[in-house]
Amino acid sequence: MPACPTLTAAATLLVPAARAERPGGQSLTMAESTAQALNSFLADVERRAFRMARMALRHDEDALDAVQDAMLQLVRRYAGRPGAEWRPLFYRILENRIRDLQRRRTVRGRVLAWMPWNRGDEDEDSDPVARAPDPTPGPVAQVEGREIGVALQEAIGHLPARQREAYLLRSLEGLDVAQTAAAMGCSEGSVKTHYSRALQHLRDQLGEFWT
Amino acid sequence: MSKENDPTEFERRASAVLRDGADGLDGATRSRLTQARHAALSQLGHESGWRNLRLILPGGAAAAAVLMALLWNFNGTVMPGGSGATLEDMDLLADAEGYELSQEPDLDFIEWAAAMGDSPAGT
Repeated sequence: MPACPTLTAAATLLVPAARAERPGGQSLTMAESTAQALNSFLADVERRAFRMARMALRHDEDALDAVQDAMLQLVRRYAGRPGAEWRPLFYRILENRIRDLQRRRTVRGRVLAWMPWNRGDEDEDSDPVARAPDPTPGPVAQVEGREIGVALQEAIGHLPARQREAYLLRSLEGLDVAQTAAAMGCSEGSVKTHYSRALQHLRDQLGEFWT
Repeated sequence: MSKENDPTEFERRASAVLRDGADGLDGATRSRLTQARHAALSQLGHESGWRNLRLILPGGAAAAAVLMALLWNFNGTVMPGGSGATLEDMDLLADAEGYELSQEPDLDFIEWAAAMGDSPAGT
């Protein structure tokens, strides 16, 4: 029976001296086993990472860019770190990238607003911020007749950044408090506070429809 | 979760909805994520070259600065003050105010006056 690539790669990470084997019986080099382990890790997290980035940025292309950049940074800078550290490191890189894109978008929006051709009849299609859902009606008013998942995502998208990070890392990615604190670069107490506030906010927004 | 091992019903359902959403991504997005992953993995092992370059660059810059200072001396443009001129040149290169002084239009006059001051005959 051929060896499971994921388990083989994980085994070589846990026991560095061990040499994994290819299905044909040939042994893998350390670089190959690291590549396999990284591939398995990234394949496992990439969809949830995209969802997180999408909820924060509300833009598919920007979200894909953020995830791709996070993957590149992890591989280039942290491939040699123990596999157990990859998850918090990856999400820390991703959140930094998301914040960077949000800042650039804000600056771009300000600059574009000053351009003479954007005064008067503004083209909203050119500005991603303008294309983001209008927060004024709020998810509560929109929730009836719509998918609860969409309403939940919109409500999460309107959370303050740190609350959104804490909530998604805990709830979607399943990190524990310590791992979330490592990913966010803050104390465990802060994680608990952010998570608790996020949860309260979401309950306020969606709770009465969640039956 | 609100308690480590006891998430509320709301938390459980929200988690399930979010995970379903992540699992249900469209094929085009999944494909692009796979391409992004492969592109990232193709960079594996390339970091050592960049690290070496980052170590080499500062050393190379310092060596180039020393070489420039030596060439300056060999070309006969030694500043007044003899053997200490090289260090003074380095100070000038590193000093922003010195750079501003070198942009003054009367630099030729300043150099001439310094040379006159150092000349034993004053000629």
